[in-house]
Amino acid sequence: MKSATVRLATTVILTAILAALGMNAASPAQAAGYVPISGAGSTWSQNALDQWRRNVDQFGIRVNYQGTGSSDGRNQFRNGTVDFAVTEIPYGLKDGSVIDQPPTRKYAYMPIVAGGTSLMYNLTISGKRVTNLRLSGLTVAKIFTGTIKSWNDPAIKADNPGLSMPSRRIVPVVRSDGSGTTAQMTSYLAKQYPSVWNSYCAKAGRSTPCGGTSTYPIVSGGGFTAQAGSLGVSGYVSQEQNVGTITYVEYSYALNTGYPVAKLLNKSGYYVEPTPNNTAVGLQGVKINTNPSSSAYLTSDLTGVYNNSDRRAYPMSSYSYMVIPTKIEGTLNANKGKTLGAFAYYFLCEGQRQAPVLGYSSLPLNLVQAGLAQVRRIPGVEAKTIDIKKCNNPTFSSDGKNLLAKNAPQPQSCDKQGSTQCATGTGGASKTSTSVSSSGSTSNSPTTGGSTGTTGTTGGTTTTTGGTGQTTGSGDSGQGISTVNGTAVALPVSNKWGLEQAAMVFAAITLLVVLIAPPLVARRLSAGTKK
Amino acid sequence: MTTTVVENDVDNALVADQAREITTKVDRPDLIFRGIIRTSGIAVLTVMSLIGVFLAYRAGKALNVAGWSFVTEQAWEPDSGKFGVAAIIVGTILIAVVAICIAVPLAIAVALYISEYAPRRLQSTFVSLVDLMAAVPSIVYGLWGLFFLQSNVTGVARWISTYFGWIPFLSVEGADPTDPLSPSTVYTSSTFIAGIVVALMVAPIICSVMREVFSQAPSGEREGAYALGSTKWGMIRTVVLPFGKGGMIGGTMLGLGRALGETIAVYLIISPVFIIQPRILESGTSSVASLIALRYGEATNFGTSALMAAGLALFLMTLVVNFIASSVVARSRSGAESG
Repeated sequence: MKSATVRLATTVILTAILAALGMNAASPAQAAGYVPISGAGSTWSQNALDQWRRNVDQFGIRVNYQGTGSSDGRNQFRNGTVDFAVTEIPYGLKDGSVIDQPPTRKYAYMPIVAGGTSLMYNLTISGKRVTNLRLSGLTVAKIFTGTIKSWNDPAIKADNPGLSMPSRRIVPVVRSDGSGTTAQMTSYLAKQYPSVWNSYCAKAGRSTPCGGTSTYPIVSGGGFTAQAGSLGVSGYVSQEQNVGTITYVEYSYALNTGYPVAKLLNKSGYYVEPTPNNTAVGLQGVKINTNPSSSAYLTSDLTGVYNNSDRRAYPMSSYSYMVIPTKIEGTLNANKGKTLGAFAYYFLCEGQRQAPVLGYSSLPLNLVQAGLAQVRRIPGVEAKTIDIKKCNNPTFSSDGKNLLAKNAPQPQSCDKQGSTQCATGTGGASKTSTSVSSSGSTSNSPTTGGSTGTTGTTGGTTTTTGGTGQTTGSGDSGQGISTVNGTAVALPVSNKWGLEQAAMVFAAITLLVVLIAPPLVARRLSAGTKK
Repeated sequence: MTTTVVENDVDNALVADQAREITTKVDRPDLIFRGIIRTSGIAVLTVMSLIGVFLAYRAGKALNVAGWSFVTEQAWEPDSGKFGVAAIIVGTILIAVVAICIAVPLAIAVALYISEYAPRRLQSTFVSLVDLMAAVPSIVYGLWGLFFLQSNVTGVARWISTYFGWIPFLSVEGADPTDPLSPSTVYTSSTFIAGIVVALMVAPIICSVMREVFSQAPSGEREGAYALGSTKWGMIRTVVLPFGKGGMIGGTMLGLGRALGETIAVYLIISPVFIIQPRILESGTSSVASLIALRYGEATNFGTSALMAAGLALFLMTLVVNFIASSVVARSRSGAESG
């Protein structure tokens, strides 16, 4: 009986391999000359990258990406172990006493997506989830430096006139690994509230002035919790019983976990949510390095974003960058360059229209154009001339204005700093409103609800695409996405079974055999000796 | 012919009454076998010492800067020159001790049940199940611990700290059992939870070592105990357990060695702090292996050297534990019999 099973298993495996080899000959990967490329880095933009990676799979472009944190990505690119890195901050910044050395290999930056570093939280008031929390920048700074320890601190009460804040302790959840999100957050704190931040830094044993840092300084016994990766912190906050926690993470993670994010007070006195529209508005204050000969070409100075005086601007908005190689050296070859170039063309053009659905904001016209120019610097790339109008990027308009920002709805009057507070939910919990005590709240007006929301309170990313047509507004972008999805779904039937799939099946079978065989064999053997 | 030989022999014997030189002629198969065995033995030792040398060499840069403060310093900020293993070694040991405290009673009970009580037909099934437990990858244990165990075990941690908080290491700072709004997060990411997960990972190993030893207890002595009127438990207490003492200690040490080095499950669960934190139920702890996993990717050259030094400390610690284990096993009755 045993030999029969073994024979069966062997047959299955052999068939799988043969089928794979047969199929593989016709696979588009071979035809187009693409080879698998690998990258590492940011978890901030990982949700967007993962979606794009899945989408280009149908063209035979295989992109491996490990979200190990921006610091690790930059390090790996410097050591030449990956073909590209994704990071929120450039090389050469001073972190504590150490300067993050730029790599000796030739490289350039390319913006890939915009987004808002949001403050995701888990808070209940008498057993009901709060979804409309508002915080001012100073309050945030004090929370994340351990000065404000309780949810009923007067500063938080002042931000939230409609809520009766509980006397719960605040548990800030920070990143334990080196992270671009931490760098974004701490740069904001260091720039806007230097005295609060520096005194905290000094307490944590860092030299001051501290500035932005990739590794969050932790004062032991401060009641902070540190977790690794964006998934780690958002997973920790979204555990039902971890009430009282708050973390900083990209907006998309809040959408995916179904938890709310705090509205952050901007320069003009409005509390705004990091929706794709508000992020786009905020980023209109950015100062981009436009000197092509500079090694930091296209990197951004966010001071203008923090202090953007538009009423709709979200202050902690920023860009994520890909570090691309510009010379063939190390493990890079022309074929890899070609693959990376094709991937870049995809996400700079078509990929951008999916950004708002995923919880990011699309790149504006000038950055897409600059990015496309950067793609040509990748060695081995098959240079394409992209008709930008066909990208369906929601920020593009005929007159060159950023449409996403232009169409951003004005904040409701209840979002203004003062004695009123909106009841509408935010982030992943946009469908759940919180009752507010003061009478001033306007009822859920469709403007904010529509712009942030529909993207799926509970469903996660997969269900979101259906709602796109309504969320982003413009009809053609909705159409566009559905076509992409159509092909992606249709393809697996005809073409998906390749060597990779066979290898997966083989690996699964091997794992099962490795798990089950030793005990069986041992039993057989011991049975033999007992006789 | 024959007679002469005999005569010669007799003559020789008479001449000198001394021992004949005994030589063993070794066959070729024996030679080859011995060669292979010897080579692999030496190879293992070489690899071990090379790892040690490599770690020491790479750690040199950091150790030169830190000097003896490497042993006493608690913080881990290599790039500002303030780093040491005091906190992380304590954290590592605490996690391992919690793990062993949970795993050993569990393993003894399971091993005794399988070797003494379980129906003969089911025995091999149980053995397979325990082996299967050892084969589950540690990341799976880690994810299970993070997303399932942690939320369910905080209640236990809260109960222990509420009623036994007067014992210093079981207290939790910042927890107020009388306040229903106090956050449960102070009980998460703790030494205790990491220890439970590691316990489940090392229990199968300890269990299989113990089971093996228990089953070797001589049947003559077992029957002797029964003949003197002993109950089953009496027989186990007086024959099986004393006989297997060496194996039990050895298995425990083996488990301890593995618990000290457990990486990824601990990495997922704990919230790293770099201060000696003896309160095992409270959030925040650290371990050498998880620190290395957390920081090696983003470390500078010097930071990597510091991590290597931490690795060296762990390496030496594990080595000592395993040496003690093997010498204990070798001295015991069951261990001596098996080799």
